[in-house]
Amino acid sequence: MIQLIFFLLLGVLLFASLFFLARRRPRTEGGAQAIVEARQALSALQSGLLPPELVERIFAREDLEYVVSHAPPAVHKLFLNERKQVALSWARQVRAAILHLRRFYLGKARLYAGLEFRTEIELAIDFALLLLASRTLELAIYWRGPYAAVRMVGATTLAAARICAISEKALAFLNPPALAVSGHSITGSQAR
Amino acid sequence: MLTPPRRRDVQEAADDLQRRTLAGMARALDRMIYLASMRDYNTGLYYHEGLASQFTQEVASEATSYCHREAFRQLVRCSLQEIVRQLEGYLLATRTNPREFVAAWKGLQPYRVAVPVEIDPLAAELLASNIKVALAILEARLHAPPGEPSASPHQSPGR
Repeated sequence: MIQLIFFLLLGVLLFASLFFLARRRPRTEGGAQAIVEARQALSALQSGLLPPELVERIFAREDLEYVVSHAPPAVHKLFLNERKQVALSWARQVRAAILHLRRFYLGKARLYAGLEFRTEIELAIDFALLLLASRTLELAIYWRGPYAAVRMVGATTLAAARICAISEKALAFLNPPALAVSGHSITGSQAR
Repeated sequence: MLTPPRRRDVQEAADDLQRRTLAGMARALDRMIYLASMRDYNTGLYYHEGLASQFTQEVASEATSYCHREAFRQLVRCSLQEIVRQLEGYLLATRTNPREFVAAWKGLQPYRVAVPVEIDPLAAELLASNIKVALAILEARLHAPPGEPSASPHQSPGR
């Protein structure tokens, strides 16, 4: 009787293992998905989220000074609320893009990029610090407004740009020379 | 099958559009709204008869789209003060009643549909937010009694 229960349990375990293995996404499909997501995240960071002119514009103190000196308190409040939403949106999008890139590094980078162990460790630390910084920034903006942590914005932007530079090299195999040239075309849209 | 417009032709058409038409519009806001009006909202293609007759419809559409994106980028880079100034200039140029203009822009929000398609969504969000605040500043000026700081648009340092 005990033997029967033992074998039944073993059978259930084997069946459950087979079930979970069958439910997993195929490795190649998941890999391609991670690469595509990483490429999109990198493009979003480089062309949309990190350009200094956009970041400076979002956190420009001159806009606040202008509103304070040229508009009534109700408009001042509206401005702070509007700018807070844009700043939060920026912080969230940066964080989301960094998470996509980290997912790529955690799962597939070593297959494609041939990173050294030391570089991988440095990247892991960079990712951890950047994600912590972006979350802190998000909370600071949420609680204290868009001008609460302007220095942290600069540091986050620089750290994200460093990770982008490394990722650019890691994903370079996706940029055949012909595509790189057409990216600067007048007819070409922003890579997103 | 359509062949992609040649890059040089598009560049030439964009220069032509810039030189003949857009150079007469000093404000990026005017250029963006003018170029948005050339777009068919059903297809996303731009129609400019003069340019199409000189080049091809496809080249004209690409060139107009490029100029539209450029106007948008210039506007996004502007400070809030500059956007207020441009909006004020546009309002004066339309010769509409200022109160009606502000009410219509607040209600219809035409600036949200006047942006190009292939742009960064965050930049579009920033511009829409800036125009919304600029409208509130103009509205406050319209409603403020004479003599108060917000009543006069000419008190800003840059003017």
